[in-house]
Amino acid sequence: MMPTSDNTGRRVMVLYMGTGLALTASMMFAGLMLRASQAGWMPMSPGQFYAVLTLHGAVVIVALMLCGMGGLWFLMRRQTSLSVAAAVIAYACIAAGAAAVIAATLFGGFAGLYTFLAPLPFHGSWPYWSTGAFLIGMTLITIGWMAWCMQMLGAVLRAYGGALGALAWDFVWHRKAFDASGRPLPPPEALPVLMAGFDGMLAGMSAMLLGVALIVRWLDARVLINPLWAKNLTYFFAHTYANLIIYMLAALIYVGLPYATGRKYHTSAALVVGWWCSMVLTLTNYFHHLYMDFVQPGPFQYLGELSSYLSAVPVTVVTIFSALMLVWRSGMKWTLGAIFMYTGLIGWVVGGIGAEIDATVPFNVHLHNTLWVPAHFHTYLVGGCVLFAVGWVFLCLESRSIRRTRILVRWVVGLLTFGGMAVFLMGFYCAGAYGVPRRYAIEPAPGPELAKIASIGAAVMIIGFALAFAEGVRLRFGYPEGEATIRMTQEVEA
Amino acid sequence: MSVAVKLLVMFLVFAGAAITIFLAVAYSTHLPVSEQHDVQQRGYAIRGRWFLALVLFLIASFAISIPFYPYMSAPAALAPARKVPVIAEQYAFIMASHLPVDKPIIFEVTSRDVNHDFGIYNPRGHLIAQVQAMPDYTNYLRVIFHKPGQYTARCLEYCGIGHAIMAKTFTVGGKQ
Repeated sequence: MMPTSDNTGRRVMVLYMGTGLALTASMMFAGLMLRASQAGWMPMSPGQFYAVLTLHGAVVIVALMLCGMGGLWFLMRRQTSLSVAAAVIAYACIAAGAAAVIAATLFGGFAGLYTFLAPLPFHGSWPYWSTGAFLIGMTLITIGWMAWCMQMLGAVLRAYGGALGALAWDFVWHRKAFDASGRPLPPPEALPVLMAGFDGMLAGMSAMLLGVALIVRWLDARVLINPLWAKNLTYFFAHTYANLIIYMLAALIYVGLPYATGRKYHTSAALVVGWWCSMVLTLTNYFHHLYMDFVQPGPFQYLGELSSYLSAVPVTVVTIFSALMLVWRSGMKWTLGAIFMYTGLIGWVVGGIGAEIDATVPFNVHLHNTLWVPAHFHTYLVGGCVLFAVGWVFLCLESRSIRRTRILVRWVVGLLTFGGMAVFLMGFYCAGAYGVPRRYAIEPAPGPELAKIASIGAAVMIIGFALAFAEGVRLRFGYPEGEATIRMTQEVEA
Repeated sequence: MSVAVKLLVMFLVFAGAAITIFLAVAYSTHLPVSEQHDVQQRGYAIRGRWFLALVLFLIASFAISIPFYPYMSAPAALAPARKVPVIAEQYAFIMASHLPVDKPIIFEVTSRDVNHDFGIYNPRGHLIAQVQAMPDYTNYLRVIFHKPGQYTARCLEYCGIGHAIMAKTFTVGGKQ
């Protein structure tokens, strides 16, 4: 076991999570600009609007991915040795890719969107170079991501005795033999690492294949790319990335909530089987993005709905239910870390309900590509993933700081953040229910009216996060001098 | 009330139930502390029932939804219907401007350039049907318009900076 006074591991986590949260914060402002523009409060040309939308989508995914990567890297570093150089190289690739994406959108006006569905990147009014810069940037991001996946996959396989050991196969099927063998059992947070590494590699390969094909098409306009093939690859990797972000950040629950509640969380057969299911279902439920492509082979549409439905089972039966059992009558103190982390669970579940409704083929006819789609994914990205990451940061701060957050501050931060978030999200849901299309620079009624309400909600939410940031800084300056360990991880391990 | 608004109500009911459970669990932290072992014993029993109920509900929902899939069956494809070609391009739909009421129509939807989506809004502004418009492929969408009036087709797949203006109005019933 690595010592928990591992300052290097903590620095890598701070590098990843700090960058991720800084980018997330800046993209919240970009998102607010977009909603204000749709409300008619901030004049933007369609070209500017879609370039910012492209930037917003691509950078948010990268930002939250970095948060999850940093968190998991830190947790795995407690279990086995991990090369800092490899982590820094992966980070550098992602940072270089993100810089290229930012340049392509902000300076080049690339507006092919973060999904860049072929052949749209080659049919736009933006400069030719910006298409290439964007595609090369996304490919660099994928290279960094795959380097991280390889490192994590290698670590988890090494630490627990190969694939079957990391999967805890014998623990589930041959319990007595496993107990007698004395082999190490993967802790709960190792299962998301395995999933992120394995599924992430598959998604990365898909993204690389598509990225290279598009770069070749960018270099030679005679190259033909089948649009249905490209669409399948796009949604396979993009959906898997988005799902993995949630699962990676949810892994922080397995360490954060036991710390906050003072209870223990152990690997169980149900937990292991749940993660096996998630590993498989995450790869097959992307088909729900192609329900309105009637030329897609029929069995995939059935598989898309069934696997989207079933992916709710391991999440709610294992992770969420276990988290609720941890909190139930635990006497947990509602610090900001605990509040953010617990509320993140609510965002995950509520966003999941919106997603399951949209994943029902007959309902998708009425919701597909309306604002219902950003409604549900903003619910579990802002209301879930961001809160898990922020909650984790606060738990780390609270575990080391001698300062405590006043109850009034907790109430104000909570009311502003979650109240604003609820208003912001309901603007999306209501607009979706009224058929307002997504990705419209100028929306038909009642889009603009709802965008006004949503903009106010988003602004209030950002104020709440800003207050939380100020409180985080205050806690950070409350560290005792000479203290160099992370109490939280020590206490969890004790 | 449109189908989508009913879905919003359904969402709010489910989300409200979930939030209520979370609030109840949060409130329990103010009650006397229980031993984790006791919580787990009771919790595992509830979890088993929750697992069964959830799986049954999801599989039943899947089975119930299948007959309502929008994909054309072989008999429907062979049945008499008016064929209406729809060609999407940046940023317009090329299609007929008048369509009959109460008669089956099969839209043959394709694209000349990039991916689009052919979304049909009824005169009340409700999204009633849609299908993707893809280059190199033709998607077949079967619709019967039961009410006359002015309908609007909007592009629902981002297709470039003119995406929001890509729309086509057509009348159903009346003059052909």
